Amino acid sequence: MAYEEPVTDYDKIVENCTCAFCGSNCDDVDILVKDNHVVGVRHACRLGASKIMEDEDQRLTVPMVRDENGELVEVDWDTALDKAAELIAGSVRPVFYGWSETSIEAMKPGLELTELVGAVIDNQATICHGPTVQAVQNVGYPLMTLGEVKNRADMVVYTGSNPMNAHPRHLSRYTTIPKGWFRKRGRFDRTLVTWDPKYSDTAKLSDIWVPFEENGDYAFCNAIRAVLKGKKLKQDVISGIPKEDIYELTEKMKKAQFGALFFGLGLTHTLSKQRNIDIAIQLVQDLNKYTKWVLLPMRGHFNVNGFNIFMSYEMGFPYGVDFSRGYPRYMIGETTTIDLLNREECDVFMVIAADPGAHFPGGALAHLANIPVIQIDIHWGPSTELADVVLPGTFIGVETAGTSYRMDSVPIFMKKAIDPPETCREDEWIVNELLQRVKKLREASK
Amino acid sequence: MTYIEKPSISNVVKFEDPDVAKVERLTVMLNTGTDIYQGACKKRGSTLKDEYRKVAGVCYMDPKDMAKLGVGNWESVLVKSDWGEVVCYAAHSRDAPHEGMIFIPKGPWANVVVSPETYCCSDPTYKGIEATVEKTDKEVLLMADLMRDVYKKYVKEGEKTEELPSLGEIPVYKKIARSK
Repeated sequence: MAYEEPVTDYDKIVENCTCAFCGSNCDDVDILVKDNHVVGVRHACRLGASKIMEDEDQRLTVPMVRDENGELVEVDWDTALDKAAELIAGSVRPVFYGWSETSIEAMKPGLELTELVGAVIDNQATICHGPTVQAVQNVGYPLMTLGEVKNRADMVVYTGSNPMNAHPRHLSRYTTIPKGWFRKRGRFDRTLVTWDPKYSDTAKLSDIWVPFEENGDYAFCNAIRAVLKGKKLKQDVISGIPKEDIYELTEKMKKAQFGALFFGLGLTHTLSKQRNIDIAIQLVQDLNKYTKWVLLPMRGHFNVNGFNIFMSYEMGFPYGVDFSRGYPRYMIGETTTIDLLNREECDVFMVIAADPGAHFPGGALAHLANIPVIQIDIHWGPSTELADVVLPGTFIGVETAGTSYRMDSVPIFMKKAIDPPETCREDEWIVNELLQRVKKLREASK
Repeated sequence: MTYIEKPSISNVVKFEDPDVAKVERLTVMLNTGTDIYQGACKKRGSTLKDEYRKVAGVCYMDPKDMAKLGVGNWESVLVKSDWGEVVCYAAHSRDAPHEGMIFIPKGPWANVVVSPETYCCSDPTYKGIEATVEKTDKEVLLMADLMRDVYKKYVKEGEKTEELPSLGEIPVYKKIARSK
């Protein structure tokens, strides 16, 4: 890795900005600004810094609409918004997907628009921690805030997640490395455990690595539960782990003063899906008979949790909410985006602050090639290759202020550091404008 | 460190390993997920660039598996599953050993071969998919070309995507001529 000179040529430092990348929402990031451009970032991890120091070549700066040749053509805001509003107003089964990389403020008009047209509103939880939300509804949520883990935890377990790659500051800022009130020596006072089939970058840092088999999470967690309940294990090897090791690990977990279990998509994306999480949550419940244990899903985007909280608060359901009957309905596997696309049900797809082109399986994306797609985003990405109307938004946390929820459900106000490009508009403004235009079209057609 | 040409990977593939029997096609378990290089490149927005194909269009393999197929770092492999096939770069996994398992970071390349099946749980199956890997001479496509090749949304009837010119590494759209 080449050495880079520190950035010294800047006008001002905007201190304590919130990083708009992962669910850790680090709120100690300093942004170095020169001529209304970000020239440097301090305290952020590689991921956060790269997002804040965005690639300006691929920034979406102007509204665009596809012409009959399939080429994107720059248009003015009125034309693009009218075209998008027309598509939405004329649709039968629209899906509004995304929302996790924008602010709570933008979700509000979005929900109003969803109700007005009877659409389905869904966010990235549908392809990441959806099963977690279902499991939480099944068996409960022994939750904490990250500050508690920092000050108290002496055992930290990561399973099915690789925070050194996906949440690089999670260990150093919240869980393992920092010194806490009851953990004066920081890392030395804590045991870091990783349960992962792969020798991941987090496993390399851990004190204990438990390499259970692929798809072996369910049996492994169940074995620990059995041992906790005083049962003898009948098999010698469970999910690739010798039973002696399971007895030893269980004993260690029982003896911890305060344990925290963090789990990621390794659990939700394998075959048992929400049942994996069910069992992980029940494991934590069982451990609480002996000592204090808590758990937390490692949420990906900085506001993916915010959408679930916002929707639960407003509508009573966390994601995949269908308004086609005029009232909110929520049924996993029925009103969720991937299922709607697999069944080729939706006829207009609006994607806001998300990139299905990069993250949906090809089988689901194939339907996006058949229907009009409206994109509200800041960068030209894989979704732009499938989009018919492109509306350039602004960058929350750098160019626009807004509220987001951290993975442990702590709301954080993200301030702005620079002004947005002149031709871009805030997500909130765009969604509101769409709402007003759809309302007008609806009234005119009455 | 804003841009990288490609991720740094180790290079210890032993093609002459006597324990390794050469095979044409390898049956493996495919995992996808995030990776720090992919995350940094994707969220910066550099998805059209060559860098993205070098960080997301990569099949991280165990060195023994690479020796079995006879592929070196940054050579092309064809990954096939029940849902599609895609050409990726082979690369030495930094999490090795994990014989019989490959890892493709999430992105347009992985999407082609993962399962859209949600089993009524909203979440597609991105991990633990049966796949085969074989050596190929084909080039790994840039993101825009891959999206055109796979989904063919704006390809006219009768046009063959492999014969069309590349869409390149910068956004292409018709701009309005502005009077000053």
